[in-house]
Amino acid sequence: MTEDVIGVHDLTKKFGDFVAVDHINFAVKRGEIFGFLGPNGAGKSTAIKMLTTLLHPTSGSAEICGYDVVKDSEEVRRHIGIVFQDRSSDDYLTGRQNLDFHARMYEMSREERESKIEEVLDLLELKGKENIKLHNLPEGVRRRFEVARGFMTRPDVVFLDEPTIGFDIKARMDLWNQIKRAREIEGVTVSLTTHFIEEANYLCDRVAIIDKAKIIALDTPQKLKEAVGSDLISLQIADGGEKRAAFMEKVNELDWITRAEEYSNSILLNAESGEGRVADLIDFADTHGFVITSIDEHEPSLEDVFLYFTGRTIREAEGG
Amino acid sequence: MEVQEVIHKPLFEAEPIYSMWLRELIRFFAMRSRILATFASPLIWLLFLGIPLSEIFASGASQNVPGGLPFFAFIVPGIVSMGLLFGGTNSGVTVLWDKEFGFLKEVMVAPVRRTSLMIGRSLGALTIALIQALTTIGIALILGTWLGFRIISVAGFLLAIGFMIIMFFAFVGFGLTLGAMIENTEGFTTIIRMIEFPMFFLSGALLPITVIKGIPILYQLQFINPLTYGVDGVRGLFTGVFILPPWLDLTVIVAFALLFLFLGAYAFSRMEVD
Repeated sequence: MTEDVIGVHDLTKKFGDFVAVDHINFAVKRGEIFGFLGPNGAGKSTAIKMLTTLLHPTSGSAEICGYDVVKDSEEVRRHIGIVFQDRSSDDYLTGRQNLDFHARMYEMSREERESKIEEVLDLLELKGKENIKLHNLPEGVRRRFEVARGFMTRPDVVFLDEPTIGFDIKARMDLWNQIKRAREIEGVTVSLTTHFIEEANYLCDRVAIIDKAKIIALDTPQKLKEAVGSDLISLQIADGGEKRAAFMEKVNELDWITRAEEYSNSILLNAESGEGRVADLIDFADTHGFVITSIDEHEPSLEDVFLYFTGRTIREAEGG
Repeated sequence: MEVQEVIHKPLFEAEPIYSMWLRELIRFFAMRSRILATFASPLIWLLFLGIPLSEIFASGASQNVPGGLPFFAFIVPGIVSMGLLFGGTNSGVTVLWDKEFGFLKEVMVAPVRRTSLMIGRSLGALTIALIQALTTIGIALILGTWLGFRIISVAGFLLAIGFMIIMFFAFVGFGLTLGAMIENTEGFTTIIRMIEFPMFFLSGALLPITVIKGIPILYQLQFINPLTYGVDGVRGLFTGVFILPPWLDLTVIVAFALLFLFLGAYAFSRMEVD
């Protein structure tokens, strides 16, 4: 059965004159892992705060499990689990006490609490660490307790705001797999924000790319990458500026180049797939008196997707 | 016409209130420094301020102590009241701490009334404050065998506990109101100190209010200070010596409690968590 667990219609949030989220629309199906990918400050967190009833939308609406996030905020809260971007547990309590406290807030019975705590400890691989005060645990483990808490109350949707920020690569990989497993076992819908390309790519069934308060593309990572084209070749030309412009003109004459764009000081080409494209390009440059200083061929990534739709890399977008 | 949706929620959410209370206590007992302070602080006040002041009053100023009380018996209820004032308003700080450390966010998105959160938290703080008050009285009774402090009756003692609970809630409301109004922890501590200390000094807790009878404004200020009535009530119930009419003490404290609990609940319910 496919049913929409999250429905968002023209959702907008303004802070004074600043538009943080601008008329976004999307729907998330039950059991999906749905990601918002975008640079810091793109509006991802604001969007998630509206969906979790922490902020009121300026206009537009959203439903979680059929409940309106403004009018039925109490019901919405009963159906969701939230993992905040900032730390939100009590450092002076142990992991187990934090989980237990959370469950009591949702009026779970003692048996329910105990069995569910065992379950989420298992899910997030936290067994053996549950009786240590959080301030004595490394950041990654503490964070995992917060993720575990998100799954405590049998929510229909779990929201994760930048779940792996500040993690090392191993911890990040572990958490990704744990979240995937949790989805399989609990059948829960997961909605997350991230500015890590790999996170969106590895974890999400569908990704909404968000930039400057708007959703600019939304599809499966695979389809998004296909939209960019087949093979990508990026290269740099010696002597910059005019030479580069001249090369751009020439290279478009090649019939297997479908698209050529200039980004800062490099050129990005979409090539129809085929053998020996890099070698051909080097020959081509030689013939016309250009010197290629670096060249690289790769399959499109979500980074290229972001670049394709915005003309900037995520890193550039965050730099300002 | 707009139809208001009726949300069926129990008026009294026992489990969330209990868990907020439990959390306060777990936190308290988890911090050794706080436990230590609970026992050390009354001892410091009683020994290092109570005894020296007793000496001053014993050597010539004893006519200033109302009802012919030994000065030590006079100051014990004052120190107990101070604990209630500081402990109560401090609960406003802890709301803010939670706000800064993000914990409040996790609580605020739970499907629980904010008033339940407030009640649970206040009951936790009250429990801790009562532990401290009883410790103070216990220590004072031991020292009192030499210095002349004793409780006049069991009924008075029990009434005093009841009165202290009302007083404590009054200051919780006061702290919450200020806590919700002031944005950052640093500012809060500074402002709270600037309010708490004058309240404490001009309440008759340390020195009889009649000592400054000849000084205009300063003398009158004592009568607009709600703590003056609280201190007088606690002292009267413990020692039998009231300076003000008991009914006035009760009326002022109850009114003060109702006003600030209402304001505090209102401010807390409107507070943005973001």
